[in-house]
Amino acid sequence: MRLVLETRSQTPPALALGAPLLAVALTLVSAVLIFAALGQDPWRALQVYFIAPVSDSWGLQEVAVKATPLVLISVGLSLCYRSNNWNIGAEGQFLVGAMAGGWLALATHGAPNGPWLMPAMLAAGAAGGALFALIPAVLRTRFGANEILTSLMLVYVAELLLDWLVRGPWRDPQGFNMPVTVSFEPEAIVPLLLEGGRLNVGTPIALLVVVLAAVLVGRTLKGVEIRLVGEAPRAARFAGFDTNRLTLTVFAISGGLAGLAGVLEAAGTVKMLQPGLSPGYGFTAIIVAFLGRLNPVGCLVAGVFLAITFIGGENAQIMLRMPLDATRVIQGLLLFYVLACDTLLLYRPRLVASTPA
Amino acid sequence: MTLTRRLLLGSAGALAGAALPGSQADAQSRLSVGVVLIGPVGDFGWSHMHDQGRRRMAEVLGDRVAATTVESVAPPDFDRVVTQLVRTGHRLIFTTSFSYFAPTQRIAPQHPGVFFENATGPTMLPNMAIYNARFYEGRYIQGVIAARKSRTKTIGYVATFPVPEVIHAINTVMRGAWSVDPAMKVRVVWVNAWSNPAREADAARALIDQGCDVLCSHTDGPAPLQLANERGIFGFGQASDMTRFAPRAHLTSSVNNWGDYYAERAQAVIAGTWQPKDTWGGLGSGMFRMAPWTNMTPEEVSEAERIRDAIASGRLHPFEGPIVRQDGTAVIPAGQRLDDNQIRAQNYFYQGIDASIPG
Repeated sequence: MRLVLETRSQTPPALALGAPLLAVALTLVSAVLIFAALGQDPWRALQVYFIAPVSDSWGLQEVAVKATPLVLISVGLSLCYRSNNWNIGAEGQFLVGAMAGGWLALATHGAPNGPWLMPAMLAAGAAGGALFALIPAVLRTRFGANEILTSLMLVYVAELLLDWLVRGPWRDPQGFNMPVTVSFEPEAIVPLLLEGGRLNVGTPIALLVVVLAAVLVGRTLKGVEIRLVGEAPRAARFAGFDTNRLTLTVFAISGGLAGLAGVLEAAGTVKMLQPGLSPGYGFTAIIVAFLGRLNPVGCLVAGVFLAITFIGGENAQIMLRMPLDATRVIQGLLLFYVLACDTLLLYRPRLVASTPA
Repeated sequence: MTLTRRLLLGSAGALAGAALPGSQADAQSRLSVGVVLIGPVGDFGWSHMHDQGRRRMAEVLGDRVAATTVESVAPPDFDRVVTQLVRTGHRLIFTTSFSYFAPTQRIAPQHPGVFFENATGPTMLPNMAIYNARFYEGRYIQGVIAARKSRTKTIGYVATFPVPEVIHAINTVMRGAWSVDPAMKVRVVWVNAWSNPAREADAARALIDQGCDVLCSHTDGPAPLQLANERGIFGFGQASDMTRFAPRAHLTSSVNNWGDYYAERAQAVIAGTWQPKDTWGGLGSGMFRMAPWTNMTPEEVSEAERIRDAIASGRLHPFEGPIVRQDGTAVIPAGQRLDDNQIRAQNYFYQGIDASIPG
């Protein structure tokens, strides 16, 4: 007897819904086993890990703050990936957006500045990210350079540029030589939505972006173009779609969204520029995009879910005194099960009697 | 090995967890202490020793404290972690990195009922104390030993960020080295991280390729020392006794001991006598010590011990004048010594150091 995977001609609709639920169920079972092996009460641990982060207003706000950059970036990436454009460099576009918006904050620092500053910073961040993303797009359309490599390598360029700026020209003179800029002025900080929390206007912006992207993909000709170019490039060419222009468009959109996420994070959460500005949001968003099935609403759900596991991991450290590594294992298992269960969508597992070779 | 450690940690956590629900009345009177770490507990250096300090505090105070460690907290996540610690009843929070100094200063006023302690910031608040050890004393001894051991007359220094703490450490290594041989030189590589084993090893490799044959490191883990071992040169351990990572290369380590301080401060909170204060303990105070001398001749050991004792007793001071900046301007003449504020504000290399401060 051996196990073979047969390609499905069609995915049953029940399975499309069932596969992610199965993945969550398997994660929960594994988590219970891990908690039990570590000597924790599994129910209390599950509660701390998955429920506590969303059980009060403060927790919900923190989940939203953590999910916002992931959702913004992954929605842009999903447009790229759907149309077969492999932008791996969102992390760099995020940082360039933060630098472009942060530059305005620093240039006006200490000088009287008005209500125009925040919108200008957001626009500069989006523009910076979009322009930076256009570099690999142009290299691909003009010279046929592989965008996976160029976009990835530009991440290091952006990281080093930020590193240089905060250690050189933009360094806080009162910062004891630490590589940080001054803290932004109140006008250059993203306004809060609620008193006393950290939720800022970045979150409604991200929700708006999800809606716009869902409309773009589902209801417009551009959406048809994006899907067709990804699924049947030859047919798309016959239909008269310009694939090069589409590459430029989706790279600009995803870079712009990553840049917007970057300036929102710099001016909203961190309130300054520093080298460790992003704990890998640009790369985590790739996982979010695929967990969300390259669908804008899916990205929203996946981003929120991943944010919960991040904060749940911290809670487990604080409330259960579990080691960080154990919490990361659970996060890794979740991703593993989701991808494994996705296999069921495309393939049917079947046991067959082994035949002599 | 790692697995064993995880299991141990896990079972320690299990014990703590099991003890929690036992007696509610005790839980009321028990002080919850939070320790926020910049790196993983398993760095075997800086963060590891702060976690050891937490354990020591728990040993000393028994069930009067319950301590929580949060590992690898990136500065953008700092506010959330600290707020969650406060919300879960922690009343004394140690934030154990210079990178947390500004964030701690920002968040402490929002929680006036909570006591914060930052290692190794420069200024205090009504509910924020600062603590540090005079690691430069150990650096002076490292410089002396390095000058005895080096054939190429060049010390390699794996540096973190160009903050005054690191700059004055490099200055004192060279002071120690010049006290033996004025021809000694230093090469510096800035890795811009407290803990990043891959970059630390790259930096060490570059320094060795440039002819350094004794390595000092300021990063949290043993990676540079391990590379020194591999390449057949000498090096020093940082924060914990790192002999076992580099049996052939290890000369000595400065071994941090935060536990007694943590116990004292937690006791002060329990007794209601906590005050913000600036603690800067040296070799004499026991806040750190020099680990076993290895791969050294008996003469080298006795010289190192003699200098260690002279520094601990205050007979030898690593910041005696004359001190001249790299650019030639005098800081203090002979016969004077830098005071603590001047030591902390050192933002310049001494004349004779052939390295530059980036930025």
